[in-house]
Amino acid sequence: MSDLYSEDSLAVFSVTYGNQPLAEGLLRDSYLSLSLCAYAMTIMFKAMRCGGWFTALCLSLSLAFCLALFLSVFMSAPALAQAPEVSSAATVPVVSGGVAFVPFVQAGQTTLVSIISPVVLVPLGDNWLIESRAAFEGDFVRRDGTGPFGGEVQKSLEYLQLDYIANPHLTVTVGRFLTPFSMYNERLYPVWIRDLQADPLILPLEQSSSNGMMLRGGFSAAPNLNLNYAAYFSTLSNNQTLASDREVGGRIVAFFPNQRAEIGFSVGHLLQQTNANRFGTHFEWQPRAFPLDMRSEYANTESGQGYWIEPALRLSALSHLPILARTQVVGRFQQFFTKPGATNDDVPGANTREPEVGLNYYFMDGLRATGSYGRQLSSEGNANVWTAGMTYRFAFPLGRGGY
Amino acid sequence: MLMRILAVMVILAATVAAESGKPSSGSSTATTSAVVPQTTAQANAIRVEGEKRFRTNCGRCHMPPHKFPPRMMATIIRHMRVRTLITDEDMRYILAYMTE
Repeated sequence: MSDLYSEDSLAVFSVTYGNQPLAEGLLRDSYLSLSLCAYAMTIMFKAMRCGGWFTALCLSLSLAFCLALFLSVFMSAPALAQAPEVSSAATVPVVSGGVAFVPFVQAGQTTLVSIISPVVLVPLGDNWLIESRAAFEGDFVRRDGTGPFGGEVQKSLEYLQLDYIANPHLTVTVGRFLTPFSMYNERLYPVWIRDLQADPLILPLEQSSSNGMMLRGGFSAAPNLNLNYAAYFSTLSNNQTLASDREVGGRIVAFFPNQRAEIGFSVGHLLQQTNANRFGTHFEWQPRAFPLDMRSEYANTESGQGYWIEPALRLSALSHLPILARTQVVGRFQQFFTKPGATNDDVPGANTREPEVGLNYYFMDGLRATGSYGRQLSSEGNANVWTAGMTYRFAFPLGRGGY
Repeated sequence: MLMRILAVMVILAATVAAESGKPSSGSSTATTSAVVPQTTAQANAIRVEGEKRFRTNCGRCHMPPHKFPPRMMATIIRHMRVRTLITDEDMRYILAYMTE
């Protein structure tokens, strides 16, 4: 049995079974939320009649976002009502990041890749956070083929954003942020996280950073279903350090905690030049029975399309001997297909496929030796790709007060 | 058309944000806060649940780190909440587990 009654502009929502309250929530200005959702739905149906598939898809994402917000207000109530007592936790600014030295040998040419990527986190009050990540990367090659190694250090600001945690289901972000398209760029890119040091072939298709505004959040929609959404608008910037396109897009992700499986869909629409659309989907699965990470992504843009699939297995599945428990075996297979008139210079110029295998050994928390071998197969020529190196993750508080 | 969608999203965000500033029956806040156990049994249950949620959420991308001081961990968990897919409830259990 459910009740919905009003006290002035206040609406109280309750669901009971017998005498046991199952859900109890509080919704203010519910008529405003309902009317906005209805308005979004009307827009979607109009677009489906008048626009193309992408418009309908984009608007569907928008509608899902609206519904997600609306449902979150209702569905969050039971969990929060049952949550144990809480206490505030003090915070302190933190500097973290990754360091890597990973020489690459591709088609016989050696490149000494050195990366340091510091992350600065500054919490403000209870609901605000400033976060930033820069990257300094030196790709050193032999001068004139046989001379000493040399090259420039490239500097980039990957994100500098202000986050406002409005409520448990909504975070508002402004500034420069990582574009929420698929999962690699946002979650797996740091050198100390990625299982294989070589970038996936389709990574350039995922717009790396955007300047503008983003809304994102997550909530538990059912006992075994967490939904996560992100919607963003980006402005045009020609500054080399802060480059971004004028674009709108979003992503919606479903995560099933019991199965540890996740599937997500991303869209983006360029609001300049070609007005191109892009679409992506990703999948991740970690079975509970053994320490396997299975990840995959697919992206389709005007500059090409492709996918990668990457299983990674910890050898603790075979034995708990320390040397095996610290070792991880990784494989990856990827394919890229070009499109005529491609505008992205960072993707292969011909159809390419590449199988890779790799090995990671974790000496301790954050310190890892890594190596891999891959074979690029393309009509432009085949090539071997070797990598071997070390990665390290650091974290320390800024100033006193870590405890 | 897209500008209208953005306008709708912004208005919705403002609506939900406005709700967060008012007291509610669930005493929900957006602050970084850990679950506080009342008894030993509850503490054990929270630890088990926190570890489970850590492995389910954080373990999807990286290996378990060593435990940081509580104030550092509170900052890091806020960062990860924004960046990844963890819910508010997950965050509170994970923070409790990582700072016990």
